[in-house]
Amino acid sequence: MIKSNTTFPTKFDAIVVGAGPAGAASAYVLSKKGFKVLLVDRSREAGSKELYGGRIYLGPLKEVWPDLDKKAPIHRWIKKERASIMGKDGRIITIEYNAGRRTSFTAYLPELVRWMVSKAEEEGTIFVDEVVVDELLTSDGKVVGIRSGPDEIRSDVVIDAEGVNRLLLEKLGLVSGPRPEELALGIKEVLKVRKNEINAQFNVDDDEGVAWILMGDITLGIPGGGFIYTFNETISIGIVIHMANAIRAAEAGAINHSFELVENLRLHPYFNKLWKSSDVIEYGAHLTIEDGLSFMPKRLVYPGLLIVGDAAGLILNTGYTVRGVDFAVYSGKLAAEAVEKALSEKEGATEENLKVYEDMVRKSFMYNELKRHRASKELMKDPEFFTKISRIPLKFFSELYEIDKEVPTAYEAFKNACRSEDSGPLSLMFKLWGMVKKL
Amino acid sequence: MVRVVVGIKWVPNTQAVRFDPKTGTLMREGVPSIINPPDLSAVEFALKIKERYGGEAIAITMAPPSAVKGLEHVLGMGVDRAVLISDRAFAGADTLATSYVLAEAIKKISRDVGKVDLAVFGQETIDSSTAHIPAQTASWLRWPYVYYVTDLEIKDDKVVVSRVLEDRVEKYELELPSVISVFMESIEARDVRLLHKLRAKIEKPIVVWSNKELKLDPRCIGLKGSPTMVSKITWTLEVPRKKIVYKPKDPEDAARWLISMLLKDEKTSKIFKWVVGG
Ligand SMILES: Cc1cc2nc3c(=O)[nH]c(=O)nc-3n(C[C@H](O)[C@H](O)[C@H](O)COP(=O)(O)OP(=O)(O)OC[C@H]3O[C@@H](n4cnc5c(N)ncnc54)[C@H](O)[C@@H]3O)c2cc1C
Repeated sequence: MIKSNTTFPTKFDAIVVGAGPAGAASAYVLSKKGFKVLLVDRSREAGSKELYGGRIYLGPLKEVWPDLDKKAPIHRWIKKERASIMGKDGRIITIEYNAGRRTSFTAYLPELVRWMVSKAEEEGTIFVDEVVVDELLTSDGKVVGIRSGPDEIRSDVVIDAEGVNRLLLEKLGLVSGPRPEELALGIKEVLKVRKNEINAQFNVDDDEGVAWILMGDITLGIPGGGFIYTFNETISIGIVIHMANAIRAAEAGAINHSFELVENLRLHPYFNKLWKSSDVIEYGAHLTIEDGLSFMPKRLVYPGLLIVGDAAGLILNTGYTVRGVDFAVYSGKLAAEAVEKALSEKEGATEENLKVYEDMVRKSFMYNELKRHRASKELMKDPEFFTKISRIPLKFFSELYEIDKEVPTAYEAFKNACRSEDSGPLSLMFKLWGMVKKL
Repeated sequence: MVRVVVGIKWVPNTQAVRFDPKTGTLMREGVPSIINPPDLSAVEFALKIKERYGGEAIAITMAPPSAVKGLEHVLGMGVDRAVLISDRAFAGADTLATSYVLAEAIKKISRDVGKVDLAVFGQETIDSSTAHIPAQTASWLRWPYVYYVTDLEIKDDKVVVSRVLEDRVEKYELELPSVISVFMESIEARDVRLLHKLRAKIEKPIVVWSNKELKLDPRCIGLKGSPTMVSKITWTLEVPRKKIVYKPKDPEDAARWLISMLLKDEKTSKIFKWVVGG
């Protein structure tokens, strides 16, 4: 039988706080490079605190785990992209795009994160779950480790991968508290549906899935949208609403409880038939970031500290796609590479040596994407845009298709649709064009 | 110095288990296992004894290999080491065969590590609630035992325990070693600590004993050693949810609506009238 009171090392090259996609990726890459890594998470089991929509882009993940598409617990490859604009009166426009190649998939984030963490453990990462980190330890203005309850552990460098709720960074005074303007609230249900029923209802094969975004009346006009993703034997449905507008709507009495929005979606006659015989097996809510760039801390490195993933504001939310998981993984990889560089220098993890991480992020596709989609952020928060963009096309199609005797020309239908928004076709065209340019 | 062995059971999370009304069996597939919650109180109790008198706490469980996760949790709470008794030969055991294996494991700990003074168990398990194990294990060991213990005091080779009954607290003096089953609502288990959990991950202070190590008579373990016969399982049918959604104006409106609905249904109206006495 093993001895009970041996001493063990409590100093690491790197401590990673948070075993989400960002933390798991940086721990994996660092361990693979031979560093001694401690990965800490508060959840009962790796990934068990995760809640997200459902679709992940493969490209950036494959740069970390080249065999991920073959080995990881992937549910379905997105084959069909659907988008629906919803009106009040049951009028709905749906477009569908049938994809030519496989670039994204659905996966249970807890399952996928568990897989990522197990890969890191295989490379030598020490993973400790069920432990909350209370504080990042500092000494002479440098982060030197972590504290949890009475216990302190030291390291040359700490990677903060704590996600959107940045309590540790707040405590250090590196970021201010959460601002509703920058955040969104996601509410989600998981519906259990038989596999062949999903295949039949959505017209897909066993390993093919659907990513479906919903706009318009589904959020009762609150800027945001809905989503539907298909998994092996479940469908995830949910709503994401811009926090500041949601608070306003709640104060104005427009919504009672946010979960009603998801319930409305589940019971909606247009969608309900897709999951007729389903059971709700899970529900939950999670914060997410609406505007990555403004959520981003002033700096991504401090002496002894790097910030990755959601905590770094590295998430793109365009309204029609959310890229959080792949950004998180990619930023984790960049941070690990920067740590390798810094620790090979004489002075170690100084701010100057870690700065390469910030440069790498700024040169990466992530930063580019965030900048390119910046303008759309303003639009996404604008209730006027949200109602107009849905009402005009709905009116147009109702003029065109809901016919008693005469069929209007397309132009007449368009004119009527514009008039219903107190606008001439031309001025509206300009306005809309101005809006569309921002997308 | 006291050496405490604490027994834990790795059970399916019964809150997540569903019942198949067609076959009358539990659908355990995909249901994650957890530490039997009353056993966490037992672990806390064992750790308090260790803190008070010095010595060590050793967790034991007879379970499939996945129970390592649970053992890591109690090591994270501060248990010093753990024994996983795991072998296909032990599978299918009833409480008699299980208690036999546990008793033999406790004897082996006494031989290999040092004399065990106390064996502590949870009050009962959430997946069967027999509460047999503490008494049966004690009987194999020929040690005295007491259930529903909330506190104890060790004096030399004796222990004075307090046990609660519904309306009173009793005190008993037992010879050590003895077996104690902890009253489950009496203490709350502590959280996992970083250093403890780190030690569990780095040192891996968990040994696995199969029947190669325990060398028990195959006729006394597993299915063969289990005389218990389950003759019949009955169950109450799940009441199908009505799935009615009502959006009330305010709490009063909600209450009024709820009462009117309860009164509409024959069964619930009877219960409701009985409860409010009208
Ligand atoms: C409703 C919703 C829908 C989404 N949909 C998608 C989608 O479809 N596709 C997509 O790519 N992205 C989506 N996202 C975004 C995506 O989930 C995140 O961007 C991603 O999970 C961020 O990864 P991360 O590792 O940075 O942080 P997280 O995944 O949040 O991980 C942080 C981890 O740190 C732990 N932690 C935090 N603080 C501490 C502490 N003090 N001590 C110990 N542990 C701590 C937490 O337990 C957690 O495990 C969605 C998000 C939401 C909310």
